[in-house]
Amino acid sequence: MSVFIESIGFGLVTASVLAIAAVGFTVQFAVTNVLNLAYASIMIASAFVAYAVNQAGVSVWVALVAAAAAGAVISMVVNQFIYAPFQRRGTSPIGLVIVSLGLLLIIEYLVQALEGPVNVSYTMSQGATVIVGDFNFTVVQFVIIGLSVAFMVGLHLLLRYTRFGKALRATAADRTLARNCGIRTGRVVLLACLITGALCGVAGTVFAINAGTFAATSADLFLVMILAAVFLGGPGQPYGAMVGAVVIGVATEASAALITADYKYVVAFVILLVVLAFRPGGLFTAGARS
Amino acid sequence: MSQATLFYVANLLVYGGVDAIACLGLSMQFGVAGVSNFGFIVFQAAGAYTAAVLALPRDTANGGFQSYVGGLGLPFPLPWVGSALVGGLIAVPFAILVGRRLTGHVAAIGLLVTAVMANLLVTNFVPFLNGAAGVSVVPQPLQNQANPNGAPYQLGYGIAALLIALAAYLLCRRITESPYGRSLRAMRDNGPVADALGKNLLSLRTAMLVLGGALAGLSGGILVGFITLWSPAAWGYAETIVLFAAVIIGGLGNHKGAVLGALLVPLGFEEATRFIPSSFGTPGLIPALQWVAIGLLIVGFLWFRPQGVIPEPRRRILSRAVATAGGGGGAALLAARPARGAAPPPAGTATPGPGAPAPILATEAIVCSFDGVRAVDGVSIAVQRGGLTGLIGPNGAGKSTLLSILAGTLAPTEGRITYEGRDITDLPAYRRARQGLVRTFQLASEFKRLTVMENLLAAVPDQRGDSFRGAVRGRRYWRRDEALAVEEARGILADFGLEAEGDSYAGDLSGGQRRLVEIMRALMARPSLLLLDEPMAGVHPTLARRIGRRLQSLCAGGLTILLVEHELAFMDEFCDPVIVMAEGRVLDQGTMAALREKAAVVEAYLVG
Amino acid sequence: MSGEAAAPDSGVAAAPRGAALAADAVSAGYGGRAVVHAVSVHVDPGEVVSVVGPNGSGKSTLLKALVGVVTALSGRVLLDGRDVTNWSPEVAARSGVGYVPQVDDVFAPLTVRENLEMGGYLLPTRVVPGRMARVLEVFPRLGQMLGRRASRLSGGERKMLAIGRVLMLEPRAFILDEPTANLAPALARAMLDEHVRQLSRTGASVLVVEQRARAVLAVSDRTYVMTGGRCQLEGTPAELISSPEFVETFLGGGRARPALVGDE
Repeated sequence: MSVFIESIGFGLVTASVLAIAAVGFTVQFAVTNVLNLAYASIMIASAFVAYAVNQAGVSVWVALVAAAAAGAVISMVVNQFIYAPFQRRGTSPIGLVIVSLGLLLIIEYLVQALEGPVNVSYTMSQGATVIVGDFNFTVVQFVIIGLSVAFMVGLHLLLRYTRFGKALRATAADRTLARNCGIRTGRVVLLACLITGALCGVAGTVFAINAGTFAATSADLFLVMILAAVFLGGPGQPYGAMVGAVVIGVATEASAALITADYKYVVAFVILLVVLAFRPGGLFTAGARS
Repeated sequence: MSQATLFYVANLLVYGGVDAIACLGLSMQFGVAGVSNFGFIVFQAAGAYTAAVLALPRDTANGGFQSYVGGLGLPFPLPWVGSALVGGLIAVPFAILVGRRLTGHVAAIGLLVTAVMANLLVTNFVPFLNGAAGVSVVPQPLQNQANPNGAPYQLGYGIAALLIALAAYLLCRRITESPYGRSLRAMRDNGPVADALGKNLLSLRTAMLVLGGALAGLSGGILVGFITLWSPAAWGYAETIVLFAAVIIGGLGNHKGAVLGALLVPLGFEEATRFIPSSFGTPGLIPALQWVAIGLLIVGFLWFRPQGVIPEPRRRILSRAVATAGGGGGAALLAARPARGAAPPPAGTATPGPGAPAPILATEAIVCSFDGVRAVDGVSIAVQRGGLTGLIGPNGAGKSTLLSILAGTLAPTEGRITYEGRDITDLPAYRRARQGLVRTFQLASEFKRLTVMENLLAAVPDQRGDSFRGAVRGRRYWRRDEALAVEEARGILADFGLEAEGDSYAGDLSGGQRRLVEIMRALMARPSLLLLDEPMAGVHPTLARRIGRRLQSLCAGGLTILLVEHELAFMDEFCDPVIVMAEGRVLDQGTMAALREKAAVVEAYLVG
Repeated sequence: MSGEAAAPDSGVAAAPRGAALAADAVSAGYGGRAVVHAVSVHVDPGEVVSVVGPNGSGKSTLLKALVGVVTALSGRVLLDGRDVTNWSPEVAARSGVGYVPQVDDVFAPLTVRENLEMGGYLLPTRVVPGRMARVLEVFPRLGQMLGRRASRLSGGERKMLAIGRVLMLEPRAFILDEPTANLAPALARAMLDEHVRQLSRTGASVLVVEQRARAVLAVSDRTYVMTGGRCQLEGTPAELISSPEFVETFLGGGRARPALVGDE
């Protein structure tokens, strides 16, 4: 069963990457009400920003900051100047999904036009192997898990205990009522886009690190995994997305070990489809909303 | 024409025809019926693979260099027929899977994901359809009878594709411009209201998934016969976005737009880039920029010209009818018209008291609670045939909830409803509507992108043209039926003083006029019992009184109306009896004058 | 009735404790279409003023126009005589106007404590605990359920939380939209008698919309009666309760003018 144990370890790494991405996605959805499918392309664009910095001789872990900044700026611009105007005009949710698909093409293939349709890799070492219990991790994998845990804890503290975090949740729950409390919801949304955009940028880079090599279109399948994690946890629910990420991450890697690696994504998709068909509100949202 | 030009033209014809057929299918689903099928490309792929494996010999042939299922070696045209059939058939599980939820963005995401998953499965499961390499050396139609590499064959293939595209166009237009197409567009504009008017949304959506799937499948079959190979790379999920771009850019809700979009986007882009020298930029730059351009076009069109290059035409049915009828004969046919479901109740099922006629509708201890709050708390009422019964009560009394329960829009937690002596508690809304129990809504619920006349016609039950088969049989089959309905609608329009607006979009009317459209539409549904939810809100008092008298005379002709209204003056003048509700219960019942004398009623209004 | 208005309760800088709020011939509605037609109401510091009327008479819309949730199409909104027409809801809150909507009055997924904290969003952080303690003195029941999510509260508790949330800022003017909607009659009367009346004690002005006319009259200094988007009657509770016209605006009847008023 050591293959299986190993796959659980891989699953934890995948889940860590997925958690950063899915939490950013779901919080952004909660605040903006846009199912931003262009998220995957912003991830990759940010990963390429980190790549450019990395090529200039900077450690990829430092370049992560540049990726976060790039993700934040792109997400903010996309929301403020594209989604928000469409929403003000009364475009339907489906219309916005189509707009986001258009943006997905624009960003993804702009990156490809600039970088060419080739796979690239960061210049970095995988580090030694760390053994934790039955699991073997490389230092890089270990750092990814650590980063993800840190982000999740950080986000939890932000949402639960800071004034801004509570205002963000209030804005997501009821924008008009938040305004009646004197909260400048425009700023909250802007700041929330920057934060979730930064998560998106970080997610893109750790995704690229974990994958080893990446190209402009690499995150397309990963987007479906993000959606699976998000819908499993209930759209707009950050804690649901964390649980969803662990379930999807471990399930895909375990199935890769047990069945065959070719079908690992299929498992995620099947989980997502079953959830969509029977519990479109997610598994953890029973009766939470009145 | 030189040989090279001939081949080029043939090529253009085939691709143009194939893209047009696919776009027409998507146009029916998305533009006409409002079904957002982000997995559309799967249907084209299914058709292409089907045609391929039907035409190919067993996979042991050709030295077994590729593996696939099937390999029946069937002669033309069976592969094409098969591609359309399979494209339509695989739509059925889609329809069942997403069921009634097919409009939400949740379902749209589900379909997108299904497309990605299907591609992944086909890529990885090599024995099925030869994996990533795809199937190749697919036999071409009639390749033993003619030389596929000759100019006549290629040109002939192009013309065949064109003719099939033309046939698809005519079929789609025939369906869209029929009463059935009107029902589809009504569903697109407002599903729940169409449901309340007796449209079976599940069946409408399934039909459109199947039709669109069949067209997409056929387009795949035609394409694979020409290019002789088909692999997962040809049907990535992004290809669906290209088709959506084409339909949006061409113009939604009309098939000229779909065809134009097909020529502009998938075909036009390929052709335009042909003239860019290959030495330009880095390899892969042009295809990448092509995708960027498609993305820009989608966003740009949705912002600057959401109606597309060719906007959906306004269907001026009224002016056309007036022109042909020469202006005469607007006489109202209301009184003469049979109400549907008007068959007398089977003897013995209801137990009327001595002398008292059986009520048309009765409820027994209806309870409806949300999160433990009992919005309706044990309501038993009886509505007598042929009268205008009023329902009043302060805010939150449960009036609208009760109305929704009666119409089947909401399910009661407890209790029983009998209509015409039959228990209808578990009957879905559209089937109640078909039995003559029709409701209106408190909130604006007109079909915005249908004209006023179309709004009215959409409600007419049992029209010959209001079925898939009837629509396909063509105008001649349903013309007379439609003309009668148009006459009837003209009469009602005249009654309500809205003749001048008959060909205006309902969404462009004032609030008061929209309320009238709703009442008129409900009357067109040939109800025997009409449930009106605050019909007079925003209607001018003089007009309100006129409508009141109109409704009264309809009741004299056998119609029964149950009406929620907060303008009590209206109740005074027209309704008897009036039922008072407060806090989910029935407080009292009687004439308005009598109720006004009762302390409990006065208190309910003043104290709450 | 407004005797205590001038007596601030502590040594806090002598800011005026109440604010005069007025609508001057305000028309408002949705999608450019008016459902409130040239209505004028005003409420002065220390006063409880109610607006009553049947369903759909435009009462809620009038309140929403006052706090900037709905656009005023014409007319003016005045705060202490200053023209603030079509201010944003944020600015209204910052100017000391506390608004409790009829539905969606609390943040359902947030806890009771977090709801109150959001009510005090504009306060310096160190002031929040003190204010919360004061609000909990008014609504002791909320103190026992600070960690509970607002979506799990009963109707009465929820309304207390909604008012408590607004109380956090100690606003100079309260605007309450049917604070007794969905409450049992006894609870409704208690809500009006004990809480709504109390809000004006510190000198704040209180404008309350109610459907339970008789109950709200008992706690009002003045009352407006709206039907069909227009203000039909105005007076003190004593004047109104004895007027036959008053009952008729609710229940129609022989002598009353036709209550059917449209938008044309």
